[in-house]
Amino acid sequence: MGRGMGTGVTGCRLQVTSFLLLLSTILLAICMLVSLGWGAQEGAWKQAVEPWKWHFPRDHGAHPEFRTEWWYFTGNLMDTAGKQYGYQLTFFRQGVALQPKDPQNSWSIRDLYLAHFTLTDVSLSRFWCDERTSRTGPGLAGAAKDGMDVRLLNWSATMKGNTILVEARRQDMELSLKLTPRKPLVLQGEDGLSRKGPNKGQASYYYSYTELQTNGTIKTPGSQTALRVEGTSWFDHEFGSNQLAQDQVGWDWFSLHLSSGQDVMIYLLRRKDGSPDPASSGTLVDRSGKATHLALSEISVEPLSHWKSTQSGATYPSQWRIAIRSANINLVVGPLVANQELVTEGSTGVTYWEGAVAGTGTSGGGQVTCKGYIEMTGYAGSLGGVF
Amino acid sequence: MAEPVIRVIDLWKDYADDLTNAPALRGSSLEISAGEVVALFGKSGSGKSTLFNLIAGLDHPTKGRIEVEGQDLELLGEKGRTNLRRFRLGFVFQFFNLLPTLTAFENVFLSLELAAKPDAAVARDALKEVGLAGKEHRYPNELSGGEQQRVAIARAIVKRPSIILADEPTGNLDTATGNQILDLLTHRCRESGTTLVMATHASFTCRYADRILRMVDGIVVEETSGEVLAR
Amino acid sequence: MKIVTKSFLRYLPRRLSLSLLQLMGVACGVAAVVGMTMSAITALASFTKAVEFLSGKATHSMQRPAGPTEESALAGLARDPAVVRFSPVIDRRLRLANGDLVRFLGVDPFLDRAIRPEIADAEVRPAKDNAAGALSFLLDDDAVLIDKELARQLQLSSGSLLQTTRGALRVIGTFSNPSGEPLVLMDIAHAQKLFTLNGFVDRVDLILADESGFRGRWEEGFLIQSGRQRSAAFSAMLGAFRLNLEALSLLALFVGVFLIYNTAMFAVLNRRRDTGILRSLGARRYEIIAAFVTEILILGFIGGALGGIIGYFLTRFLTALIGTSITDLYFFLRPEPSAWSNWILFAGVALGCGASMLGGALPLLEIVRTDPAKALSGRVAGRQSGRNAHRTSLAGLLILAVSTVLLILPRTHIYVGFAGVFGFLIGVSLLTGSVLVAIHPGLRWVLGRVGRLPGKVAAGNIRQNLGRTAVAVAAFMVALSMSVGLGSMIGSFRQSLVWWMESQLQGELYIGKIGEADVPESFYEEVKKMPGLGGADPYRNVQVLYRDVPVYVASVDASVVQRFTHFGWLKGGNENWEQVKRGGVVISESFSRRFGIKSGDTMTLHGAHGPAEFRVGGIFYDYTTEHGLLMMDRSTFLRVFGDHTINSLAAFIDPDNPHRLELIQEIKKKAEARGLPVQTQSQLRASILKVFDNTFAVTRSMRALAIVVAFFGIAGALLTLFMERRHDFGIYRALGFSTGQIATMTLLEGLGMGAVSYLLSMGAGTILAVLLINVINLRSFNWTIFFYPELGPYAWTAITALVASLGAAAYPIWKVCRTYPQMQIREE
Repeated sequence: MGRGMGTGVTGCRLQVTSFLLLLSTILLAICMLVSLGWGAQEGAWKQAVEPWKWHFPRDHGAHPEFRTEWWYFTGNLMDTAGKQYGYQLTFFRQGVALQPKDPQNSWSIRDLYLAHFTLTDVSLSRFWCDERTSRTGPGLAGAAKDGMDVRLLNWSATMKGNTILVEARRQDMELSLKLTPRKPLVLQGEDGLSRKGPNKGQASYYYSYTELQTNGTIKTPGSQTALRVEGTSWFDHEFGSNQLAQDQVGWDWFSLHLSSGQDVMIYLLRRKDGSPDPASSGTLVDRSGKATHLALSEISVEPLSHWKSTQSGATYPSQWRIAIRSANINLVVGPLVANQELVTEGSTGVTYWEGAVAGTGTSGGGQVTCKGYIEMTGYAGSLGGVF
Repeated sequence: MAEPVIRVIDLWKDYADDLTNAPALRGSSLEISAGEVVALFGKSGSGKSTLFNLIAGLDHPTKGRIEVEGQDLELLGEKGRTNLRRFRLGFVFQFFNLLPTLTAFENVFLSLELAAKPDAAVARDALKEVGLAGKEHRYPNELSGGEQQRVAIARAIVKRPSIILADEPTGNLDTATGNQILDLLTHRCRESGTTLVMATHASFTCRYADRILRMVDGIVVEETSGEVLAR
Repeated sequence: MKIVTKSFLRYLPRRLSLSLLQLMGVACGVAAVVGMTMSAITALASFTKAVEFLSGKATHSMQRPAGPTEESALAGLARDPAVVRFSPVIDRRLRLANGDLVRFLGVDPFLDRAIRPEIADAEVRPAKDNAAGALSFLLDDDAVLIDKELARQLQLSSGSLLQTTRGALRVIGTFSNPSGEPLVLMDIAHAQKLFTLNGFVDRVDLILADESGFRGRWEEGFLIQSGRQRSAAFSAMLGAFRLNLEALSLLALFVGVFLIYNTAMFAVLNRRRDTGILRSLGARRYEIIAAFVTEILILGFIGGALGGIIGYFLTRFLTALIGTSITDLYFFLRPEPSAWSNWILFAGVALGCGASMLGGALPLLEIVRTDPAKALSGRVAGRQSGRNAHRTSLAGLLILAVSTVLLILPRTHIYVGFAGVFGFLIGVSLLTGSVLVAIHPGLRWVLGRVGRLPGKVAAGNIRQNLGRTAVAVAAFMVALSMSVGLGSMIGSFRQSLVWWMESQLQGELYIGKIGEADVPESFYEEVKKMPGLGGADPYRNVQVLYRDVPVYVASVDASVVQRFTHFGWLKGGNENWEQVKRGGVVISESFSRRFGIKSGDTMTLHGAHGPAEFRVGGIFYDYTTEHGLLMMDRSTFLRVFGDHTINSLAAFIDPDNPHRLELIQEIKKKAEARGLPVQTQSQLRASILKVFDNTFAVTRSMRALAIVVAFFGIAGALLTLFMERRHDFGIYRALGFSTGQIATMTLLEGLGMGAVSYLLSMGAGTILAVLLINVINLRSFNWTIFFYPELGPYAWTAITALVASLGAAAYPIWKVCRTYPQMQIREE
């Protein structure tokens, strides 16, 4: 299991209201109970235990027999004038019941769909986010089972042939991008089974497209008009039914594209005592697309400075020294915009930082630059209590 | 003879809404000098009250001319006539016409207030002079008729007017009280040199007068024969 | 303080009983106005607030022109570029076990929070042992949220059951609702189940960015209304009701000001002699005016403040009444009487002072213009000559003439109609002086017969003191006319309604209830097939827009209705249904008048497949809605609107059918088996009459208020008369009048004035009723009420007049009995 689990059902909601918050908290509570062993009683949700038999494009689609699933797109973009942007578009499917109570009624709930959409304008140092929630309803949200076609109201991600089309729109904020993989997909963990803790089933199925050539248009509240952009995206698809272990307070997730053509993914599960969980790990993808699993012992991540959010009061690391000893990679990475925090109502603490980053360093002895996205959860105090 | 303080020339008065009766005044004329005490003697309905009201500027004549202290009332205007009543004229009525909601003192003081000389001591003295010391704070309905008329006299005299018009001042009083009142009134006027005109239908009133004018059917006739006194 | 002013103010404590009456007069007048106006404003504001609250942030709404909307449209809306946010809504009414009908919203909380964030702020308190407690809103099909006020009222909290006619619902939380409308909220999935609406919603609330683009894509087959159009439609719905309240407020104002006028005028007349004295002493006019104004303002101030307070308490009562009316006629509303504010006091004082000044102005003007000699001349104040009375009457006739013109002017605003009606009342009230002069001989004869000499003297006193008596009689007459007029109007309306029910409601049984319990189509089919049944009429009544204003469309089975009912037609008879059978419509009188549509005309409605044309086959009398009703055959309705809902089913049985009773029982059983409410013909009629009576509760209380106000008027007049002539009593005593005779005289003065007022009000009230029916009702509701003369209102008013006159005379009589023996002939 990696980033997003749990956050997936809450996330960025600047105009969130308490009823929804409550629902969200309840969803979190379910997640928590499941992690405490309720899952066994629930039983019916499938667990990520055995290695998955992958079939694409089928596995780009939904796996409703698992409780939680997400499709995660992040990317670093540049417009024709050379200005830098970042985006995040994430779809979550949270199973509520294996069967809807009233299958005849389209509103009867089986899954809830939630989505987050953020845009970062580096030149303006601005960050915007929005979110959507919906049940399946009469064609309001859903994900196809035979391929990638996930929709939530007017936000969607669909794959046709080798191209993924991601679209999201609200009044002053738009995203319409074509994503084409430059490298084959990478099965994370052991053949796609990614361990998140010591317990059985405390894992998810997880694969990524680490490098997607991206072009299309965006519109930000700052730009007012649509801008042609191109750049590189990262795509994760993950599904499972189990959550964080009790002593895990949050996680840091790094996805970086190096100018050397290498891609790095690292996730660090932080325990209450501050030490990384042994299940933390990473993946290094080389220029040709060949992936190598990185054990915790091969990775070193050291925060160099911190940034304190005035919104949530949380203090996040804001610069890191990242070293992958086995590959002789040394990087110093920092955010492109300091504030890329997604804040809900402060009290619930489901607040996280996810944003575009860039850095410089060396790889195999040569100078490199890098761009990418970092996600940090569990810094706004109470999240640790929830989990 | 000095310039008359009241001069009435050919005064006519017709009550428009009283078609049945003949005009109340049909060409009255008279002249009264300063300091004179005059009795205007006539029967009820002969036009005395009408004449008084006209002299006081409380009503308008149909025809004719009234001069008070040399001023034509019509030319004086409403404001001038009001000022005349305020400062130069005193009124004593048959039915006393005290304000029922005011005490004896307040009734007198009202007169001073209107004449812009609000002095409580003056009002109290005036009441004392008419023999009502100690009754200052009684309301009119707590006073006898004679006492009420005394208050009315005090009210008229207190502002030191040049003329006092008394309309049947004893009409509502028994003879003894009436005589006391007339005595008081004429005495006070003579003392202060105030012109006093008394309208009356009672002959004994005329005894207190320097001069008697007779009023018959709206016309004033100078009484020279002493016929009234004889009766 | 100046002595002049003091001399006036001393009257207030000196004539305490009169001052108190005057004070109460002002207070009651102000209370009537404040109470009525404030409750009308409060209730209407509460309605607007409820509408606004329900609309939330939506800029538009979209629905089928009639009946529910398919939810399949939502997927398209979700992707439409013009749609910023949308929320499907099931908007129904739910009958609680206690009989209240409350608004019920079925929404998707995720979609709805953008439209109605307040609702999403609900406090959900899950039971402790169940982590999924809050989720139960989404998962449990009996879970509801209710607003805090409703929860407080029904003493419910999280976990309690809300009993309704659709079963018990579990309250899982509460939310604050700033509007006065109780609200029950359910998840859309469960709402669909509760109302058997699977696959449908009532409407979609939208936040649109590009209206014209959106309309271009969706207008075909859907009714799209902007927020403004929607609230305009709501206002239009309440238009006539609002007007009714406004009219009642104006009425209160009229009666109130009249009474205060009366009071102020008495105060002025009382000071006539004093004015003369003061003027002879050289007081200036303005000093006297200032003294007066001070006195009047003190009365106006204290009375106004008192009236404000009384009015505030009256508001609490009237607001509830108005709320009940709105609930019966439109939707459940629980208007909160507005909280106390010093502005109420201020308004009361302003009104009291203003009306007092208005009332005092004319007499004051008259008195300062009168030569003081005249005021002093010994003529007793208020002894107005007959000639004066005739001059006043002339003014009255002039006002009557103007009013008549206003009333017969065609197609003017309803306010012109009101002006005409009030003008009529003012005009008539100005005639009272002349009437008193004219009927004096008659009154003298009658009172003489009743009370012998004291009676004759009493008649004389009424005639002699016209200045006083005419005003008192006028005020009392106006109040009694209101009573007669409103009473007759309501009575006639009720009779017309009864006639209407007899003409239209001929079914044996009525199954289902509009807005509460719809009848499944299958039940209709089942009943229709029952052997021996004369016919079944599947009634559907739905609001649609015609020329952008809401009207009602009813669908019926034309052949059944033609056979079993005999509608009251403006022209023709039941053959008018032939047009309906051929796809045409028949329209109500209100529809016809409102839109100027006649029999034989063609009109267009927007159906689910675009515009549809209808030929009008006839016009029928109808009192169910002032907005206009048109009826079409069910086959036409289904074709045009595709709405299969049946609100209620009327079952008709031939009266000579030998199995009539068994059939009735069988249908009842079938309906009860499905949990459908059943009403017999008489039950339905009774419930309609109950609604009718509730509706006029406000009117009736205004009627009562008018009488109370008038009582103080006439009591004040009598007491003034009595006080002014107290010295006369010495003369009567000298003449040998006994205490009893004086008491009789006083009593007969009161009764005489009461009787004259009543006699006048019989005529004026009848004319008022006719005006209310033929001008006000016709213009504001567009329907014809047939004037049914009834004894009731006249009898009630007579009793009222009698009691009020006796009551007004009581205090003076008591005074007479107590003090008469000591009275002497005496002049003050």
